[in-house]
Amino acid sequence: MLQHSLLLIYRNFKRFKTTFFINLVGLSVGLVGALTIYLWVHDEWSFDRYHATTGRLFRVLENQRTAEGINTYGTAPLLAEALAEEMPEIQYAAVATPPNFFPGFTLVAKGKTVRADAKFAGKDFFHIFSYNLQQGDASQVLANKTAAVLSQEMAAALFGTAANAVGKTVEWQLADLKQTVVVTGVFGPIPVNSTDQFDVVLSFDAFKGIMKMGESIDWAQDGPFNTFVVLHEGADAVRFQTKISGLLQRKLATNKKRALLVQPYADIYLHGEYTNGIPSGGRIEYVQLFSAIAVFILVIACINFMNLATAKASRRLKEIGVKKTLGASRFSLVAHYLAESVLMSFIALLIALALVELLLPQFNAITSKQLALSFQPHLVLSALGITLITGLLAGSYPAIYLSGLRPVEVLKGQLAGSVADLWTRKGLVVFQFMLSVLFIVCVWVIQRQLAFVESKDLGYNRNGIMSFEAAGRAAKQPKTFLAELKRLPGVVNASGMWGSLVGTYGAGRPVEWEGRKILANNLGVNYDMLETLGITLKEGRSFSPQFRADTMQIIVNEALVASLGLQNPVGQLLDNQRIVGVARDFHYESLHEKVKPFIFRLEPLTAGTILVRLAPGREQEAIGRIQQFYAAFNPGQALLTYHFLDDDYQAQYVAERRVGVLAQYFAGLAILISCLGLFGLTAFTAERRRKEIGIRKVLGASEFSIVYLLSSDLTKLVGVAILLALPVSYVVVKQWLESFEYRISLEYWYFLGAGLVAVSVAWLTIGAQAWKASRTNPTLCLRDE
Amino acid sequence: MIKIENLEKIYRTEEVQTKALNNVSLTVSEGEFVAIMGPSGCGKSTLLNILGLLDEPDGGSFAFAGTDVTHAPERRRAELRKKHIGFVFQSFNLIEELTVAENVELPLIYLGVGAAERKEKVAKVLEKMQIMHRRNHFPQQLSGGQQQRVAVARAVVNGPRLILADEPTGNLDSSNGNEVMELLTELNEAGTTIIMVTHSEHDARYAHRVIRLLDGQVVLEHAHV
Repeated sequence: MLQHSLLLIYRNFKRFKTTFFINLVGLSVGLVGALTIYLWVHDEWSFDRYHATTGRLFRVLENQRTAEGINTYGTAPLLAEALAEEMPEIQYAAVATPPNFFPGFTLVAKGKTVRADAKFAGKDFFHIFSYNLQQGDASQVLANKTAAVLSQEMAAALFGTAANAVGKTVEWQLADLKQTVVVTGVFGPIPVNSTDQFDVVLSFDAFKGIMKMGESIDWAQDGPFNTFVVLHEGADAVRFQTKISGLLQRKLATNKKRALLVQPYADIYLHGEYTNGIPSGGRIEYVQLFSAIAVFILVIACINFMNLATAKASRRLKEIGVKKTLGASRFSLVAHYLAESVLMSFIALLIALALVELLLPQFNAITSKQLALSFQPHLVLSALGITLITGLLAGSYPAIYLSGLRPVEVLKGQLAGSVADLWTRKGLVVFQFMLSVLFIVCVWVIQRQLAFVESKDLGYNRNGIMSFEAAGRAAKQPKTFLAELKRLPGVVNASGMWGSLVGTYGAGRPVEWEGRKILANNLGVNYDMLETLGITLKEGRSFSPQFRADTMQIIVNEALVASLGLQNPVGQLLDNQRIVGVARDFHYESLHEKVKPFIFRLEPLTAGTILVRLAPGREQEAIGRIQQFYAAFNPGQALLTYHFLDDDYQAQYVAERRVGVLAQYFAGLAILISCLGLFGLTAFTAERRRKEIGIRKVLGASEFSIVYLLSSDLTKLVGVAILLALPVSYVVVKQWLESFEYRISLEYWYFLGAGLVAVSVAWLTIGAQAWKASRTNPTLCLRDE
Repeated sequence: MIKIENLEKIYRTEEVQTKALNNVSLTVSEGEFVAIMGPSGCGKSTLLNILGLLDEPDGGSFAFAGTDVTHAPERRRAELRKKHIGFVFQSFNLIEELTVAENVELPLIYLGVGAAERKEKVAKVLEKMQIMHRRNHFPQQLSGGQQQRVAVARAVVNGPRLILADEPTGNLDSSNGNEVMELLTELNEAGTTIIMVTHSEHDARYAHRVIRLLDGQVVLEHAHV
C-alpha cells in the first residue's frame, strides 16, 4: 500500500509540475522562516539554564510599596548570609554586585596591565553557578578576603597560563581605589548564553571592608545587590516563596511596605521586567512575537498547498472515484493524501535546511547571535516535528475534502464544488493576504518610529560626545586632568560624572520637600557637565567654581519642579541641598519612558566617566590627541578605550531595530508565499477555463476582457483581505507604539500605502498569468476536447 | 443475490424535484446476466449506482446476498464493494498515473492481499484478457478496446460475485465492443452475476433478461431464450 501510494505521489508530482514547484518553494520558504525563528527562540530560551542548580536556583528581590505603586529592587548586601541562617531549606546563599555595577577595572600584575569586568561575590558563588572552575575548589576560592578568581583569558593575559596564575598576586584599580589580591582560582570561558559575563570575581568581604558595611544585617536596610539562593534538593519552592515574602514584616514590625520575593534564575533573562511588583514580561515578548510570526508564515505556506490541492482536485477526481468504487476506505484515502503532503514537506525541509545554512550568517549578524545548524537532538526532533506538523496541516483540508467526495458524482464529473468549499478557498486567500498586509503595516510603522527616535530632539546634543572611563591619576586628580584635557585642540568641552548618562535609571530615590515625597533620579557630575552635553537652563545658573556654597549644590529638571509643585525653585533647599538652577527637561532614559524628576549633584571630585565634546570635523584628530594625553598623564594604566554617547543612545533601541529588520524579511517571505499561491490559482483557473476562453475569443472577446475575466475574482479577494487587515493592523501597531512614551502619530496613509503595495504585487502576479492565458490561440484551446 | 423493493431515488435542486427511480422492484439471482435498457435520463445509471452501493436510495429496500443494505454505513458499503462487486465503466476510468498492471492490482491492495499473491493474480487475469504484453504501459498509451479489457481485468481480478457494467461498449467500435461482450459472457458462464446498463439492443442480446426503464419505472421485463 505504502509503495503504491509513493508511486502515485511521485507520478502526480511529475504530472502537475507547476503546482509541485509552487508548493515546494512555498513550503521551503515557510520552513526557512520557521527554522531560523526556532533556532533563535531556542537560543533565547537556553539562556542561564546550563547551571547544574537550575530549578533550585533563585534570585531574591525586594518589593517596596510607595504612593505611586510598587517598585522592585535588588536587596541589602548582607541579606544572603542572614537568609541562610533563617531558612533551613537554603543550601547555598551568596550576594554579588549586579552585572555592569562598576565601570571597567584595571588589573596589574608583573608589569602587565589589562582591563577587566569585575564583580564582588559571596563565598558560595561558585557552588551556586556552574562557571566551570578549572583551578581551585568551589568551597575555597572565595573564602578569603583577598581572593580573586580570574577567567582563563585574564589568567593567560597576565600570567601565560591558568595553572601559573594560582597563588600569584594581582593589583586591581577602580577610579581612586586599589587593592592587592591573590589568585585562588581560574574559571573557563562563560557560555555565550549567559546573561552575566565577567572576567574576575573578587571576595565580597573585601567590598564590605571598602564600604564599611559592618558584619551583621540591619533588616531596615535595602540595596541594589543581587542575592542568590539555592534550595536543598526536594525543598518545597512554593512554600519557600511564601515564607520569604513574610520575612521582612516579621523582622520589621513597624514597616509593612517592604516584602522579599524570589524569581527563578533561569527566568530572569526572558521575564526580567517587573511592574507594580509582579513580573510583566521582558524579552519573552519578542520570543512570543517571533514564534507567532513563524507560525503565520507556515500557515500561509500551508494555505497555498490546501488551495492548490483542492483547486486541482478536478484533475484527480477520477483517481478518487475509481478508488472509492473499488472499495477504498475513507481512511486509506485520507492517509494517501496526508502522505503526499507530508512527503512534500520533507522534500521542502531538505531545501529549507540548505537555505537556512546559507542565510544564517546574515541572520546572526542581525540578531547578534551565533546560531548554527547541528545534529543536536532538540534541533533534529524539532525540525522533523515542525515539518511533520506542516505536512499534516497542509494535507488535512485536501485530504478531508477529497476523501469526502461522493464517488458517483466524481465519476460523472459533476463536481460543481459546493458553496462551502468555494468559501473555504476564498477565505484562505483572504487570510493569507490579511497577514501580508499586517506585516507590511508593521514594517512601515516600526521604520517610521525608529526614524523618529533617531531624529528626536533629546534636550541635549548627543552627537560628537566621546565617553571613556578614567582610572589611575586621571581619576584621582580630576581637576588637573579635566583642565589639561580641555586645552587639547579639537576638544570643545569636557566634564566628569559617575556611571553613564544614557540608560535605564529605574524608579529613583526618594526626595522630600515640605512633607511632599517623590522619587527622583540623580547623577553626580563635575563642573561644565551641562555645557558639555548642551543642556539648557530654564532659570538659575549652572555649576561654576566661581560660586562657593556652604552646602551641596544641585540643578533639578522641570519635571521635578512640576512634580513637587515648587514655586521659585532657585535658591530653595531640597533635602539640605541648594537648588542653583532648573534645567530644561531632557531624555536621559529611552523614549519608552516619560522624562522623570532628575537631579544633578555637583561633585567636583567625581571623574569615573569622562565626557568630551569634540569639535565637529576634527573628531579623529582629537581622539588621537586625547589617547596620547591620557597615556602620558596616566603612566602604567591600560590604554584608553572610548565610545560615543550616540552609540549608547542607539543601543537602547537595539531590540526594536532588530525587530524592524527582521519584520522586513518576514514580511517579504509572507508576500512571496502568498503571491506564489495566487500565481498557482490563476494558472489553474486559466487552465480550467481554457475551453471557455477559446470560445469567447472565437466570439470576439478582447484580450483585456479575458484578463478581466480571469483576474477579477482574485483581485476582489485581495481587496477584501486589505479591508479586513487594516483594523487589525491598526490595533497591533497602536499597541506597539504605546510602549513608547514619545511616538509618531498613526497616519492614514501608512495603511493606505500598505494596501496599495499588497494590491499591486498581487495584481502583477495575477495579471501576468491572465495575460498569458488571454494570448493563447483559441483553436488550440478548442482542439483538446 | 439482489432483491430490491419499491426503490425510490429523488434528486433535488433548488427549484425542482426529479424522481429518478419510482417504485422499482427487481430480483436478480446468482449467476444471472441482466441488461438494463432505456432512453437517456430514464434512471438506469442511478439504479446501477444503487446496486453497486455507490449511492443510497431515498425509499424502498435493498437486500444484497440476503442482508439488508438499504442504509448501510459507508464503511460497510466499501467493504462489500471491494469484496463482492466489480465495476466496468463506459469511460474505462483507469487511473492515468498507474500502469496497466498497477491499475489491475489496486483492488487487491485494498483487500490486503500479499504482494506475491497479487503479482500472481494480476498476471493471471492479464493473461486471460490478453493484455499481458501491455502490462507496463500507461492507459493513455492503449487503444479504447485495450483500455476496456484492462478495466474488465481490474473488475474481475479479486473474483467478485457481481459485475456491474455501465455501457461497457459505449466508447468502443463494434469489433472491440463484441470482444468485451464475449469476455463478459465467459465470466457469466463461469458463474459471475452480471448486471449491465446499455443502449445497444445488440449487446442486450447477450443477456438472459432485459429490464426496460422509462421515467424511473420498470415498464417491461422480458427474457432472452
